[in-house]
Amino acid sequence: MSTPVLATPDVGPTGDTAPVKGGPTLGQRLTSFMPVIALVVLLAALTIADPDFLTQRSLTAAVRTSAPLAVLAAGATLVVLCGGIDLSIAALCSLTTVLFAMWLPDLGGLTTLAAIGVAAAIGAVQGLAHVVLRIPSFIVTLGGMSIFSAVALVISDAGPIRIVDRDATKWLTLYVGGVVPMSFFVAVLVVAAISLVLKLTPLESFVRATGYSESAARLAGTPVDLVKVAAFTVSGACAGLAAIMLVSRNFSGSPTMADNLLLPAVAAIVVGGTAITGGHGSLWRSLVGALVITLLRVGLPIVGVPSAYEQILYGAIIVAAVALTLDRSKVLIIK
Amino acid sequence: MTSPAGADTEVVLPPRPQPRRGVSLRDAGPPIALAVIFLLFALISPGFRTIGNVQNIMDAAAVLAVVTCGITFVLMMGSIDLSAPGVMGAAAIAVSLLVANNRNGNDWGLLGVLVAVLLAAALGCLSGLALVLLKVPSFMTTLGVSAVGLGVATLLFGGVQPNISDEMLRGWAIERFLGLAYLTWIAFGCVLIGWLIQCYSRLGRYAFAIGGAEEVLALSGVKVAPYKVAVFTLAGAFYGLAGVMVTSQLSAGLVQAGKGYDFAAITAAVVGGTLLTGGRGGILHSAVGVLLVTVLTNGLVQVGVSPYWQGGVQGLIVVAAVAAAVIPQRRRNQVTK
Repeated sequence: MSTPVLATPDVGPTGDTAPVKGGPTLGQRLTSFMPVIALVVLLAALTIADPDFLTQRSLTAAVRTSAPLAVLAAGATLVVLCGGIDLSIAALCSLTTVLFAMWLPDLGGLTTLAAIGVAAAIGAVQGLAHVVLRIPSFIVTLGGMSIFSAVALVISDAGPIRIVDRDATKWLTLYVGGVVPMSFFVAVLVVAAISLVLKLTPLESFVRATGYSESAARLAGTPVDLVKVAAFTVSGACAGLAAIMLVSRNFSGSPTMADNLLLPAVAAIVVGGTAITGGHGSLWRSLVGALVITLLRVGLPIVGVPSAYEQILYGAIIVAAVALTLDRSKVLIIK
Repeated sequence: MTSPAGADTEVVLPPRPQPRRGVSLRDAGPPIALAVIFLLFALISPGFRTIGNVQNIMDAAAVLAVVTCGITFVLMMGSIDLSAPGVMGAAAIAVSLLVANNRNGNDWGLLGVLVAVLLAAALGCLSGLALVLLKVPSFMTTLGVSAVGLGVATLLFGGVQPNISDEMLRGWAIERFLGLAYLTWIAFGCVLIGWLIQCYSRLGRYAFAIGGAEEVLALSGVKVAPYKVAVFTLAGAFYGLAGVMVTSQLSAGLVQAGKGYDFAAITAAVVGGTLLTGGRGGILHSAVGVLLVTVLTNGLVQVGVSPYWQGGVQGLIVVAAVAAAVIPQRRRNQVTK
């Protein structure tokens, strides 16, 4: 035996033939495909409950609803991969809807870019505060959440702002190939683009190293601080993009528009199987997670469950999913 | 002598004196800040420096004080609790359906209040159990439990707002004793009970110890888990009472009774000198923090700042306070999550 005794592999007495290699067990494999399995099971269950559900029309509608959630979750996934958490995404998204609605008359076609840019800059500021002041990320973003809500309330006078010029967001309401809603297509594109950039550059190793063990990553020369700030920046930019998707659907900006998306977004991330402890997970998982959450949301009324149970379900799902995906070897003491 | 002067002085340098706990800046800072801010607003605004406004501030601080009592125990352990909105909402709806109201024939009086507080304690217990048994970090379990509480509240709410007609509960917010509303005296009572628990009960002492060094406590043979669950249960009970108090103020049960109180309470506790890493602070610190936050909120409105900024100001304070608290450990804490 060449392996040291201390390194007890996390296999369990299941009679696995090659525990020394430390490959994933059947259980771990199943857990890692859990989001996809959950998605298929949900689709099947909903189809049994209501055969009309599996039509192109309702599926398109469901996918379209999931787009802002998917984008929000994808951005925040990067922060979670680094071992932090971003609780400000929903408030930042609401603020951006207000900014977009206010700037549209002046900036015209440039508004989309400006709004996403400002959201990204705000995300970067949060990242800097986290890194430079060494404040835990959930406190920075919790503080950010209330600051952004306050700013949004003040500049909008606590009311929705109607959008007169609907052409600016019209492209998001189109359909690709007549079937796939443009907003969902954009969401997939964003996830694909970020994933590709991560894959093709050393960034993926940087992010994973930061998430798995920040001190080790630091000692190995990973630019941990830069990676974290970048993650927060992307998270902010994604919140901005999600805001534009919301505006394209509601034709208005409002200081509380996205506030109820925080819980679903966090749920989407953890249901996808991204470990809240950092390191393990991917953006694709969050995309699947967002679809699962959306199907639950759409499906509950079909099965006949009152929508009040939705909240309870989110709570239960978050706790259960985190418990399943948590990396126990890393955190000996759970605070 | 051949040794350079620099090394010489370094040897001679006396060990840095440790400030005694009673007089350290961390303990004295918040009360001084409170006094300074109070005087500042009193100078600027004529409306602020009236007896009536001081009464207002005390009454406005009542609910936040009770919530902060609960959250302080959790923070002392080094955990965090975001479940206040959900727990308070559930307790608010529960109590408004149990005392005399316009929805059903219940008239349980004080017993209704007790049941609502017990329901809230059960929800708090749920977060504690999820933390201890499933080993899920507390900010996730409490976020989940908050959602569960809001769901329970929405279910009980059932689409028609329950207005309470119970004279006793309504009287808590209206009737005054020595110039302060009954609710304020209840808050004083909670702070006193919290302080007694913190100083003289095993629960309070262990909560401190868990925050200071959980490994050491566990290695000394203390079973930590039951105390953690107990602390979350206690916190839940405090939130429940706060939810009842909001119901008394509004004369109606609202699902959103606790909206924003989680963050305000964390702000108050942190500003008062309770460290998020645990092991420092306490109920009295938090009480000062509550007054600080309330005076600031009240003062800013008196000076003419839009009340919508309230949350933003709290956000800035909490980030600044946490940043100031971690500066001494900057060198040591390379890793922040």
